Amino acid sequence: MSIEEQYRTRAKELLSGGAVKMVIGYGKGTTPSRRRPLFITSPDDVERLMLDDACITNLSGYLVSEGLLSDEKRVAVFLRPEGIRAVNILAAESQLDAEQIVIFGFDVSGNEVQALKGIHVEEFSDVIRSIKEGAPEADEEELFEKIEKMSPQERFSFWQEEFAKCIKCYACRQACPMCYCRRCIVDSNQPQWINTSSHSLGNFEWNIVRAFHLSGRCVECGNCDRACPVNIPLRLINHRMAEEVLGAFDHFAGMSKTQEPVLASFKKDDSETFIL
Amino acid sequence: MTKILFSDKLDKCVERWKSAGLTVIGPVQRTNISTYAAVDHAAELEFGLVLPDRSIKDLFFPQSEPMLRYTIKKESINTEECLPPAGPRIIFGARPCDASGMAIDDPLFGWDYKDEYWFQRRNESVIVTIACTKADDFCMCTSLEMSPDSTKGSDILLRPLAGNKGWQVDELTDRGREAFRTIADFLHESSEPLAPSAVVENKFDLDACVTWLKNPENFESRFWKEISMRCIGCASCTYLCPTCHCFDIQDEGDTYTGIRRKNWDSCSFALFTMHTSGHNPRSTQSARWRQRIMHKFNYFPGKFSVNSCSGCGRCSRQCPVDMGITETLQEISKLSL
Ligand code: SF4
Ligand code: SF4
Ligand code: SF4
Ligand code: SF4
Repeated sequence: MSIEEQYRTRAKELLSGGAVKMVIGYGKGTTPSRRRPLFITSPDDVERLMLDDACITNLSGYLVSEGLLSDEKRVAVFLRPEGIRAVNILAAESQLDAEQIVIFGFDVSGNEVQALKGIHVEEFSDVIRSIKEGAPEADEEELFEKIEKMSPQERFSFWQEEFAKCIKCYACRQACPMCYCRRCIVDSNQPQWINTSSHSLGNFEWNIVRAFHLSGRCVECGNCDRACPVNIPLRLINHRMAEEVLGAFDHFAGMSKTQEPVLASFKKDDSETFIL
Repeated sequence: MTKILFSDKLDKCVERWKSAGLTVIGPVQRTNISTYAAVDHAAELEFGLVLPDRSIKDLFFPQSEPMLRYTIKKESINTEECLPPAGPRIIFGARPCDASGMAIDDPLFGWDYKDEYWFQRRNESVIVTIACTKADDFCMCTSLEMSPDSTKGSDILLRPLAGNKGWQVDELTDRGREAFRTIADFLHESSEPLAPSAVVENKFDLDACVTWLKNPENFESRFWKEISMRCIGCASCTYLCPTCHCFDIQDEGDTYTGIRRKNWDSCSFALFTMHTSGHNPRSTQSARWRQRIMHKFNYFPGKFSVNSCSGCGRCSRQCPVDMGITETLQEISKLSL
């Protein structure tokens, strides 16, 4: 039985037994290569669930949709390892109760889908550890290497050009499971911290503030990068920040549901006298 | 016999228009993005795109526009109005769905208050549209009573000749004729075979959709919630859309000196309708998505007798969660069977 079929069967069982009220997965998209988020609440609809190498979107952000988990019922969700890490962070940051989340874990290598064993988030710690230890994939990207080699001035002009394309559509924020703030800093206007205008300064402010807010929290799922309609390579920023945090604090975001948030915790014996 | 512009003459035309004081703008492919931008040479223009990622709207209604500068002193308040940079321009190689998008928005920007920013740019621009010879899965002009060679909003329509040799010139307006008079010596009178037009299948029954939307009973239909569950509420669809036109006015600076700007805004955002009291009349994403559809296919045509959609498909093409106008109208078509 394919993993797709196994997971359909499991979804059917969970829904018919009332163990979960909803399964968040992937369904057929507009074109043969597209998959779209799908919300299944009836056991009769599980056949619509799909699982293949085109299932890329990190669906964990839907778990914190307003009101979804407030009835304390369980919700099942299809997640890749990055999505599972995101659930850990959401739990660590008190955005959800991990007990309510039933995971249909999977990973894709080449175009082969593999099932990940486990149901609850804590059962995937080995998978997450092996990712932490494995070579970071994005390093292989030529562009990343190229930027690393640039002088600060060259790097600044690279990002200046990229951010000039930004239209402040906030698709990056909306697509990000970690951007759950009910009122984002750019939407606060008393005082207005960040310019709302999408001019060079406003675009810089926005992208830099987001990079900071995601440091140590980003799981490099790529949702923001894929969502950006003007194709700003946001993955490069995320990856750089993740490396920075790993190097400085040995912090790999989303290791466990009790992991301390790296930039929101401090130790009395910290060697630094200043906290950002 | 018709007027023909051969491709190899285009660079000369660009030069001629430039020396006549026109800024020449057209489709270009930049790093990771295609858009309409000013060019110096014909070689910079990219005619192979189905359509640019960014719409032509940017040229008439930019994402952030200065309106006035202010200085407040003890005894005086000084304001200095900012108007768009003046100067005639020719947009060479627009797509029919982009050109018609601008015509769709004309009545909106002119009905109660004449938006100078919009009309100054409109009056100073010649739109030369190239009919489409290829379409993708998301193009849907034909579902909206338009076609790959619609003339709406264009001053000139160019029909591609077979073998990429050039274009047949259809002059549509005086403004177009005037711009082409300056390059008259580069045009030929002959009859050349045309490249076949793009085929865009009809995707939904527009009339059925409009009837369904107009029925007040459907305003509270469960349909809205179901169709928009995966919508994440970004502004990708509205900002890429040639006809979406909502904006916000913001003051930047401090109490004493600053600049007032007109910035794009989007009905997809929760903040769009948030009251200062904290109450939000469109408190759910489904109410916001319903607004977008209702506005385009019910309220806007109710006021201006035209749908606020030109069928470019950008909303569906770029949506991070594979939603869009097409799917919604297809589903509504099914509901109204
Ligand atoms: S910042 Fe981007 S890559 Fe990181 S968690 Fe958010 S959406 Fe995923
Ligand atoms: S998704 Fe891209 S264009 Fe939109 S706000 Fe984010 S960086 Fe800017
Ligand atoms: S339909 Fe898609 S592009 Fe539009 S607001 Fe929703 S998620 Fe964003
Ligand atoms: S609603 Fe969608 S298809 Fe219609 S004009 Fe706007 S972006 Fe294009």
